[in-house]
Amino acid sequence: MNGKRENRIDKIVSDLLRGRRLKLRGGDAEEKAAITAAARLAAARQGSQRMHPAFRKRLATLLEQAPKKDRVTRRAALVAGLGLAAGVAAGTLLGRATQPGVMPVAGAAIDPVDGRWIDVAAMSDLAEGQGKRVKAGGIGAFVFRRGQSVTAVSSICSHLPCELWWDGSNSHLACPCHPASFRPDGKPTDGYALPALNAVQVRVTAEGRIEVLGTE
Amino acid sequence: MTSEESESESGQVLQLPTSARATDIALDELELVYAFIYARVGNRADAEDLTQQVALKAIPRLREGAPASAIRGYLFATARSVLGAFWSTRLGLSESELREDLAMPVAPGPPSEEGTETVQLILAQLSDNYRRVLELRFLHGYSLKEVASEMKSTVGAIKVMQLRALRAAAKVRPE
Repeated sequence: MNGKRENRIDKIVSDLLRGRRLKLRGGDAEEKAAITAAARLAAARQGSQRMHPAFRKRLATLLEQAPKKDRVTRRAALVAGLGLAAGVAAGTLLGRATQPGVMPVAGAAIDPVDGRWIDVAAMSDLAEGQGKRVKAGGIGAFVFRRGQSVTAVSSICSHLPCELWWDGSNSHLACPCHPASFRPDGKPTDGYALPALNAVQVRVTAEGRIEVLGTE
Repeated sequence: MTSEESESESGQVLQLPTSARATDIALDELELVYAFIYARVGNRADAEDLTQQVALKAIPRLREGAPASAIRGYLFATARSVLGAFWSTRLGLSESELREDLAMPVAPGPPSEEGTETVQLILAQLSDNYRRVLELRFLHGYSLKEVASEMKSTVGAIKVMQLRALRAAAKVRPE
């Protein structure tokens, strides 16, 4: 743990008491017991909590809009549940048999009203298979080049509205807010049954410039 | 009257695709999950994030239709593993340390009182100074400076005491 432990722990305590998210570092594991105790005490201060109405509404939408066609068998559902626990606890037991059937299809393309094509980069700026963060007015995206074709996905996580970042070593987009990641095509990697990222419309001009359909 | 509406409280079956009534029942179960998770992570943002993960995992099971009691067991089992993954990822914990989280007892019913009462039980088992520093800091929301003033000590000493008190609190196993 960097710095004095008591300072680090007090930072975590202060964040909790202000209602902030737990921001932990790998080194904090040495004080795991103190941190989990702090989280429980902070929770106790608030008393028993109910969901915020806006969050409850979001969950209701999630439940009601769950894809109906991809019906999952009892066995698949069981494996999905076990896959999570096993993936977490042992890493291997039943893990990867599960995700595809419960996933919504890839996110729809963003089609902004009064959208306009915005120049964001040159083809030569993009390394093969590496994500590049671009901004086209109000739309943030990661663009990817495969040979002469270019694709783009939203830079916002499909779960919480957090800005993704490109993890080149793992070749995926990672969310800073929770342990979720997405492939360049926008589909989530294993582990979390999240919707795919929204696609972003992109084109390459005759001059080799990349344009994204964005906003003013 | 729909089939969901006609079911008794004890024998109700949760099933998606759903009527508004069935969604409400599922949300009520997720309320319990939220309270369970909140009591462990201590903040709304993480609690919402993890509860949503549980809901996403549970959708296939909800769609099949199952007794509410079975759904609740499934939701809490999922909540435990999601919490385990949360601590594991945030702290970079090893598998052996993670098992401890996965072994957390499942709340048999609504965990409405577990937070406050459990904390009181924990605090009651600490030494006077440790209990006082945690009470002032967490339950009364005092700043370090205010705690130092109240306990006639320095901010530095209170910080160290807070860390030691939290370590001690973590060791208490309230029954």
